[in-house]
Parts: sequence; C-alpha cells; structure tokens
Amino acid sequence: MKRPAVLLVFGLCILTTILLLYRIMRLGYPVLPAVSGRAFNFKFDGHIKSSGSDTTLSVALPLERPGLVISEEYFGSGSLSFSLIKKESGRYGVWTGQTGPDGEIVSYWATILVRSPVTAKLKPPVLDGYPSSISKDEQAAAEKITDRFKSLSLPNRIRSILQLAGSIRNRSPSEGHELGFIKRMDEKYDRSILLLTLFRAASIPARTVEGISLTEGVIARPLKWIDAWNGQKWESISIDGQEVIKDQASLLALTFTGTQVVHVSGGSIHDIRWDINRQIIGTWRHNYEHISRSERFLDRWSLFRLPVEFQQTFRILLLVPIGALLISILRNIIGFPTFGIFMPVLMALSFRNTGLIYGLCIFAGVILIGYTARRFLDRLRLLLVPRMSVLLTLVIVCFTLLALLGNKFGLRQVMAVGLLPFVILVMTIERFFVVVEEHGIGTALQTAAGSAAVAIITYLIISWETLQLTFFIYPELLLAIGALQILVGRYTGYRLSELFRFREFRNRS
Amino acid sequence: MIGQAFRQLKEAGVLGINNRNAEYIMGYNPRSRYPLVDNKVLTKRLAKEYGIPTPELYHVIEHHGSLKNLKAMLEGLNEFVVKPARGSGGSGIVLIAERTEQHFITQSKKPITLEYLSYHISDILSGIFSLQGQEDHAIIESLIHPDQTFAAVTYQGVPDVRIIVYRGIPAMAMVRLPTKDSDGKANLHRGAIGAGIELSTGKTITAVHKSQIVTHHPDTGNPVSGLQVPHWDTMLSIAGLATDMTGLGYIGVDIVIDRDQGPVLLELNARPGLAIQMANKHGLLKKLEHIDAAPADIFAIPEKRIAWARENL
Repeated sequence: MKRPAVLLVFGLCILTTILLLYRIMRLGYPVLPAVSGRAFNFKFDGHIKSSGSDTTLSVALPLERPGLVISEEYFGSGSLSFSLIKKESGRYGVWTGQTGPDGEIVSYWATILVRSPVTAKLKPPVLDGYPSSISKDEQAAAEKITDRFKSLSLPNRIRSILQLAGSIRNRSPSEGHELGFIKRMDEKYDRSILLLTLFRAASIPARTVEGISLTEGVIARPLKWIDAWNGQKWESISIDGQEVIKDQASLLALTFTGTQVVHVSGGSIHDIRWDINRQIIGTWRHNYEHISRSERFLDRWSLFRLPVEFQQTFRILLLVPIGALLISILRNIIGFPTFGIFMPVLMALSFRNTGLIYGLCIFAGVILIGYTARRFLDRLRLLLVPRMSVLLTLVIVCFTLLALLGNKFGLRQVMAVGLLPFVILVMTIERFFVVVEEHGIGTALQTAAGSAAVAIITYLIISWETLQLTFFIYPELLLAIGALQILVGRYTGYRLSELFRFREFRNRS
Repeated sequence: MIGQAFRQLKEAGVLGINNRNAEYIMGYNPRSRYPLVDNKVLTKRLAKEYGIPTPELYHVIEHHGSLKNLKAMLEGLNEFVVKPARGSGGSGIVLIAERTEQHFITQSKKPITLEYLSYHISDILSGIFSLQGQEDHAIIESLIHPDQTFAAVTYQGVPDVRIIVYRGIPAMAMVRLPTKDSDGKANLHRGAIGAGIELSTGKTITAVHKSQIVTHHPDTGNPVSGLQVPHWDTMLSIAGLATDMTGLGYIGVDIVIDRDQGPVLLELNARPGLAIQMANKHGLLKKLEHIDAAPADIFAIPEKRIAWARENL
C-alpha cells in the first residue's frame, strides 16, 4: 500500500481519537450517549369553561422520584393565571381566573427522564390512621383477621393480604365472624378502601395513588393503584388485579391519599387528555444542556447549537457516508454490482418518507414500467436526450398516479412518492435496459438485487437512532469513516467475486 | 478457507481488478492521454505517424447537419464500416458488405436502407454508444476482410488479436474468436472465445469460452489450440510501439489481420480486461512483475524489448 495513503489514514484515526478523548475526558461527554435511558414527552390538556364566577382548576403534575427526573416544564394558561402549588399529597398546577364564553385550553408540558433506578434508602413512612369511613367494628375485624400475618416479613405480609383480598368473594361468610365482616366491607366500599384497611390492620403503611402509565398513547382518565411499604420501598399494587405491579418504573404518580388529579370549581372541564410520547433526543439534551451554555470551543461548535429543525437533517446526513462506505466495500472488496455509485444511498434516503416496503415496491414497479416503456422507445429510435426526457415524463406520470391512488386509499406513504429521487430513477431505468441488452437479464436482476440490498442496509443504518445520536455528538467520527473509505480505496487485493471468476487458477494449484 | 483461496490466486500470479486499477491503470496511464485511445479518429492519426496501418478512413461525420450529404459520401463505397469514434465494447458498429439499388446489405445479410443508416449515425452523434454518453462523432472506414487462417474457428465476424503491452513490452496475448453466442462480435463478455498465444512462437495454446476452458470451437467444432497466428512478428512490433505512441504504460492493443493489408491496428484500450489470463491459463501479475525486473537498458529500444519478451515471457 502506498505510504501517503497509510499516513493519511493513520492521521485521520489519530485525530478522531484525540477529539473523542478530549470530549469524553475533558468535556465529560458520555461514552455511550444513547444508552442513558428513556425520555417521555408528558402533555396534559383540557378545555375549561367558567360558569359565571371565578374558576379554579387544579391539576396534579408529575412528581420526581428516584430514577425519574422532570427536566423541562411549560404551562399554557391562555388568559388564566397560573401558579404551582406543592402539597404533601403532590404537586399541583392551579389555573384561576375567568374564561371567555368559549372557554380556554389549558395545557402543561414536561419532559420526563427515566434513569436506571437508583437504590437510595428511603425513609420509612409513618403509619396513617384507618380510612375515615371505616367503623371501629370493622377495624377490629380487620385487625383480627390479619393477626396471623403479623409474624411474617413485610413483603410476605403484603402478599398474604393480597391473597386474602383476592379470595374473599369466593369464600362463605360462615367460615368465621371476621370473614363475614370483611366480605360485607368488600361489598360496601371501594376495593381500595378494603385493601387500605387490611394493610393498616397489618401495620403496613399504604396509600392510594393516582397517576398514569408511561407508555405511549393518549389517555382520558388517570389510573389508580395502591402503594404498600415493604420495608425498603413502596410496592405498587393494582386495585383490580390485586397483584404487585412488576414494572414500577412505567408508573408515574400524580397524587396520593385520594386527592383528585383534576379538580375544578366554578366551572367545568372537558376533553381532558394526557398525551405520552417517547422521546430519544430529550434524554441526551437534558444531560448536555450545559453544551448550549458552555464557552468551550467544541461545545460552541457543537451541532446542538443548530436550530432544532436543521438538527434532524444533520442527524441523517452524518450517516450517509456510512452508506457510501458500504457501497465501496460491496463493489471493491466483494465485487457485487450496484446501479450507479450512489443510487442506493439516494434510495435509502427516500425510504425515510415512504417506508421500506412501500419504497421498494414503488421502486421495483416504476423500474418495471419504465423498462417496458424503454423497450418500446427503443423501436422509435429516439435520440438520447429526448429519450431520457420521455422516460422522465413517464416516471412523473407514474408518481402522480401513485399519489392519487395513495390518496384514494388513504396511504400516506404512497403519497410521499414525490420525494423519491426521480432523476435517479430515470437513469436507473436506462442503466437497467443497457445492462439487460449487453449482459442479459440475469446480470441486470443481480445488479438490481445488489442495489436494493445496499439501499435496505443503508436505510437501516441511517434510521438507527443510537448511531444517529453518536455521530451527532461526535461528528469527528466522519474522519474515521473517511479513513476507512481511503483504506477500501487502497485495497488492491482480489475481490471475493474474483475467487469465483478465476477459479480455474485455484483448482490447478 | 477464503484465505487459502486468496493465496492460491496470489501464487498463480493472477491480476485482480482492484490491483489492475490502482497499480497499473492509475500508476501508468495518465488521464490526459485517454482521449488518444478513446477516440478512434485520434488513434488513427497517431498510428499513421508511427507507420502503423489502420482501416482506411473514408469519412468522419461530426454534425447532424452533415447527414444530408450521407448519400454523396457513400457514393461508390460498396463495403464499409460505420462506427462511433468513442464507442466501447463493439456497440454501435454496422458492417456493410454489399450494396443493391435500394439497400445496403450488412455482413449478416440484413438489408438496411439509407434512411436507417442515417438514423443510426444520428444515434452515434448523440452519444448513445459512447463511453460516458457524451456527444460523439461517427467514423466511416474500410471493411476488414479477415485472413482465412482463423476461418475454421470463427463464426461470422472478424477475429482479432489482443496484446497487453506493459511499459512497451508485450506481456500477454490472445486471439478472440467470434461465436454464435457472441453474435459475431469479438468480445469475450459477449461469448467470444479467447485463445491464449505463446509470445515466443505466436501459436495458440489454450482457449476459454464463458470462463470455461475449451479445446474446440463450439459452433464449427474445430480445434482452437496449436494454430499459428500469421504475421506474428509484425504484430509484436505494432504492439511494441503502443506505449511510445500513446504514453500509456498499461494498454490493450487490438489488431486484426486483413486478407490484403496484413495486420491492421483496430483500436487501443486504456482499460484492458482481465479475461486474457484465463485464455492463457496464466496469471498476468507474474508477467508484469517479470517485466519490472527486466534489465533497464532494454526499455529504450522497441526491438530489444520485443526480443526480450519473446525470450523471457
């Protein structure tokens, strides 16, 4: 291998390493930036309408807890005034004032980061009294029936009580005086009251919680569950299933001890909804908010300083050279043909709008139609430039028909057909035709398959968020990609396909 | 397993395409010289300076406007060849072997009209057959009457001899024999047979057809090895001048043997293919390295170079 090429590759690798190390060691960047956890966009909104007098709306807001961080919060209050109130039972956003005749939309928006749970020691909570509706007799019955659990450890006590509560409906009251009492309580009260009473009787601190589940979607009413203290931490117990919820991290508590999540006085609220969206970049943003404030050179020149709408473009653009590297490898080391040099990369980029399956189908379809047309055009003996123009018109006609069909059947991906690289398609049709004529349909299909394979792999690469984020934070990785491209460019060894092509020489030796 | 396969090729001295491009084409062929071989009009002019015969040039058509004079240009020409000046792989070539009142008859006995011929030339001018699709010129030149030596192993068309010349020294040679598959064309990737030639004697050794070693022509059934290539000395001296002519250090020289004229330079190729190795059952890299190790004093004189090649390669 030529010396200058080696030196250049070496230099590029060294430069990449230095920049990476500097960012990690001095600027405190993460080694694996994308692994830092999950983040969610939490959004609440509702439509509030005053009924004459001043209106007060109080909405419970998400609470921080170990492993859960609230990073940014925004409030939309319209003409109402807003205040944030912290109480023992939770954190509340309070909107007050008078709305217009059509009401106001109030909203709250936050980014919630889920970190790996920290095992910090919690202070054991104080044992509260019985729920207020429970009579002395009922307390006594509950105490008596849970008496036999007293010797158990807290976690086992919780399980035993859940078992008891679960089986209560199937048991006959004749089994004992207390059981009869409990059974009547079950009929009389809410399930949560029964559970709280039993926990209290067994000296287990417990509380009712209202909140929502951190899974993507829109919900109109909060969830309700019970937290029971197991000596170390709260265990969340579903009320209907009466079992311990394993994935506690997915629950987001809003209020405790039975306070309403949404409460309105002097008016009414409609169209309440919580909107939960997963967000990837937010995690990173939170960790590196300091970049936007830092005066360090590399921080000031970080891609994070770009306006958000351009950041998205660069997250993808930075990965395109990997696709090009892939094509170099496929062509020069493996020896697999593709149409054009960068056609697969452009295909991959367009798949971002149409999706992989639709994109590939549209591509195959348009090339097939184009090829048929090209065969026919061959008989007309059109000159080169006008012939390409005719093909271009044909491709655009295909796009238009597809978009109209997509609209008819409500397929957005098909309507996105206009974003396919039509010039590349025209050239691919021409190339395909020439390859079929000169090397046969077999070679042409092989080339098409090679192009499609590279396009798919490139698409998967550029859609890979972890990689996007890594390159976005460490754009110097492009230098390393460049170094690899130079290496491929200086690869003068045999292509894998040549092992087959020159097989005669191998058999002899 | 793959590592072993790589070693076997290496040991056999096979030249791979990456190595050819990076070391030989990029190393010895300056880009500025490419037009000399890519444009057949320039090649002809150059060959004339060096006293190398090429098919006689009747006309060069440069503009669509000249096509209205086509009839007059072809006046009195009963047999001729139309080809793109910058064509590759034999595409766009029409061979006219005879002429009737109304029609031109191609070598494969197809009658075509003047109008069709005019369309075809128009296609050539718009660059349909040229290397990168740029505008091109059309050449009208004399038809080659192939020497009868290879008649028994040729299916239509014109067989030609390809010699790879490295630093002025013929490194490897083969004769390309058209078959039914190749549609009378002498291109290996289209299905022509390539028969390796021993440099010292000019005799064919083995042959390859579609990557398979063959001993007989698939259409005529005659043996393809052990044939003496006529005018071998002349061919070697033509090839030996290719580097001096063009300044290209790694070049493919295509020569045809005309019944009357003898060896005629058909075209030069700055990116000659690698199939010649199969036709010779011998790795090209070995020969190239051998040439690099040749005594320095032979490179200046064409005769010395050829004498060295016949003796050593």
